[in-house]
Amino acid sequence: MNEFPLLLISFIIYILVMLSGFASFFGFKAKWSRISYTLAIAGFVVQSAGLLVRTIVSGHAPFTNMYESINFLSWSCVLVIIIFQRKFRLEKAWPYLWLLIVALMALVSSPLLPKNVTPLVPALQSYWLWLHVSVTLLGEAFLAVAFVASILYLAAGRSSAGNSEAQKKQENYDLIAYRAVAAGFPLFTLGALVFGMIWASRAWGRYWSWDPKEVWSLITWLFYALYLHTRLVMGWKGKRSALIAIIGFLAALFTFFGVNYLLSGLHSYV
Amino acid sequence: MIRFLSSLKLTIFLLSLIILLSVIGTLIPQGEDPGFYQTYLPRWSGIILSLQLDHLYRSSLFLSVAFFFLLNILFCSLRQLPVKLKQLRGEIKFIPPGVQSVAVRKLASSFSDWFEASPDSLLAELRQRHYQIKIKKSGEKKTLLAQKERPGLFGPEIVHLAIMIIIVGGLISALFSQRIELALTEGQTADLPGKNFSFRLDRFTIDYYPDGSIKSWKSLVSILEQGQVKKQKIIEVNHPLKYDGLNFFQMSYGFDWDRTKVELEIISGNSAVRQLTLKVGEKVQLDSSLTLSLLNFIPDFTLDPGGRPTSRSAEANNPAVLVLVSREGAPVYQGWLFYYHPESNQIQQQPGSELAISLKKFEAPLFSGLEAASDPGLNLVWLGCALLFLGLLACFYLNYRQMVIGLRPGEKPVFSAHSRHNQTTFYQELERLLEVRPDSAINSDRKNEGKTK
Repeated sequence: MNEFPLLLISFIIYILVMLSGFASFFGFKAKWSRISYTLAIAGFVVQSAGLLVRTIVSGHAPFTNMYESINFLSWSCVLVIIIFQRKFRLEKAWPYLWLLIVALMALVSSPLLPKNVTPLVPALQSYWLWLHVSVTLLGEAFLAVAFVASILYLAAGRSSAGNSEAQKKQENYDLIAYRAVAAGFPLFTLGALVFGMIWASRAWGRYWSWDPKEVWSLITWLFYALYLHTRLVMGWKGKRSALIAIIGFLAALFTFFGVNYLLSGLHSYV
Repeated sequence: MIRFLSSLKLTIFLLSLIILLSVIGTLIPQGEDPGFYQTYLPRWSGIILSLQLDHLYRSSLFLSVAFFFLLNILFCSLRQLPVKLKQLRGEIKFIPPGVQSVAVRKLASSFSDWFEASPDSLLAELRQRHYQIKIKKSGEKKTLLAQKERPGLFGPEIVHLAIMIIIVGGLISALFSQRIELALTEGQTADLPGKNFSFRLDRFTIDYYPDGSIKSWKSLVSILEQGQVKKQKIIEVNHPLKYDGLNFFQMSYGFDWDRTKVELEIISGNSAVRQLTLKVGEKVQLDSSLTLSLLNFIPDFTLDPGGRPTSRSAEANNPAVLVLVSREGAPVYQGWLFYYHPESNQIQQQPGSELAISLKKFEAPLFSGLEAASDPGLNLVWLGCALLFLGLLACFYLNYRQMVIGLRPGEKPVFSAHSRHNQTTFYQELERLLEVRPDSAINSDRKNEGKTK
């Protein structure tokens, strides 16, 4: 048994989600939105089944190499997008967020990433693998939503001047970004830093080693601390806030990908 | 000065500086010899070494930035705390934006009427919605202070306290933690300085997956006090042993090459074949006049830039032994013998050699690399981590709300309603609350309107 067919099916469904989302811009808005949302739920169910199959087949957590981790990240992003759609109404941000999912899924299903199941090295055999990685990636999924919303904010900036309708939409992007950071930041803190420190202390005997991955997650965390301080205390909003949220997520991406491929360290197994 | 130290501008500056320094620290290789930087980064080595960027996270530059960050957080909290405590006692009136708006004026008059006409029903409704209520009466003045989710007011202070605790814990760890590395072969015992117990490795095993990769390394160890086994446990990666303030971790394993046992095959001129087993440092009499000494064993033979033999790694990739053959105490031959490349054995290459010696087997005892660590900063760091997460939850998910109503006969009522997040939603919440107002309070609405005008 193999999870890959399920993954491809969910990938195709996600493409349809995105297309129907964009279709709603051109007419039959309510109808297309409903189709898009229903497809999203279906895709999420299929991808969840894929994760379950992978977990059963491999016998370990479904995020121990790049292929598994990006797949789990995209699953988390889908979950977060659905939650946001239900709670806050994403409006025009919806199909653009699915663009991100489609990009992630394209990477997951590409032959660039080896898909074979490899047994776990001793350091990864711990329930902290589940806690540390899943909470971190879930937090990063929220930060990814903030990233897309911030880009949309900046992109909308050119057209919204003097148009109160467009301005309202643009402010909605800013609010989505803030709400996503408000959820993603505590989760990232808990998963990446706190759980990471606890696990490091048990596995390596020290909770902090200034390993490049550790330093880069601290850098990511500091960027979002900057985002919150400038926003809540100095009253920055809009453009400058959006820029910090974008740079913060780029730091998170570098922590995830860049550190593995460019810098060597203790986290070199993923 | 204190104003500067507690300012947000300084916070932003320090956060940016810490980010910048941290990035630099991941770009410059850390903890290498000065020579490394002179060789590979000749243009930068001067700056790197003078600013201590070769061990950036322990450099005086980084530590002083961290120190200012600590001061900044401390002063900021000290400035905020009294203000917030006053808010909590209702001594500071919030004047939220839009206080003059019609909607707020309506809220103000409706709630003060309700409080005047039927205080019990107002208090009951507020209590049902989990508001904490305080009523102050001084003379004719009557004040209601209703608050909800009070820890939310202190979210930022909790987070800041947590970060200070983590930084202090980290400093204590950096200054006072002790680490003892132990490399033990089976049966070996290590004494631990300052402790009245010793630590023995009973058994060390490596398990493999079917594909040959390593599944686990396990050390069965005993803690001994005066020769008595006090505790026995299997230590493996992710499963340390805790005993008497020390944590024992499985860190590595390897071969104790200094205790290698080798088997040599010796073919002498008359073609008699002999097998010899000996250890590094041992000497064997070959016949009445010839002796052979085993001087050295190298698991992964290579030559360093100076042409001296050295080991490239601790793996047995190119094992070699150095042997010396002497006749009546005077050296005759000395040379390296290679396990994988017997054609390069130096003994045979020497002219007039009457002996052919080759390395047939080598065996080194396996050692388990363990670490005994005590870290007095650890508990502070965990306390800080727990507070950090709780504080963040309080910041984002507890919405402190406060409503103050002050009444004094013959004067306009004082009213303020404030929430930390989303003021508009709070007004809406209060408007919904007005829907359950008893009729008596609504009726008094009109009466009061007549009175105040």
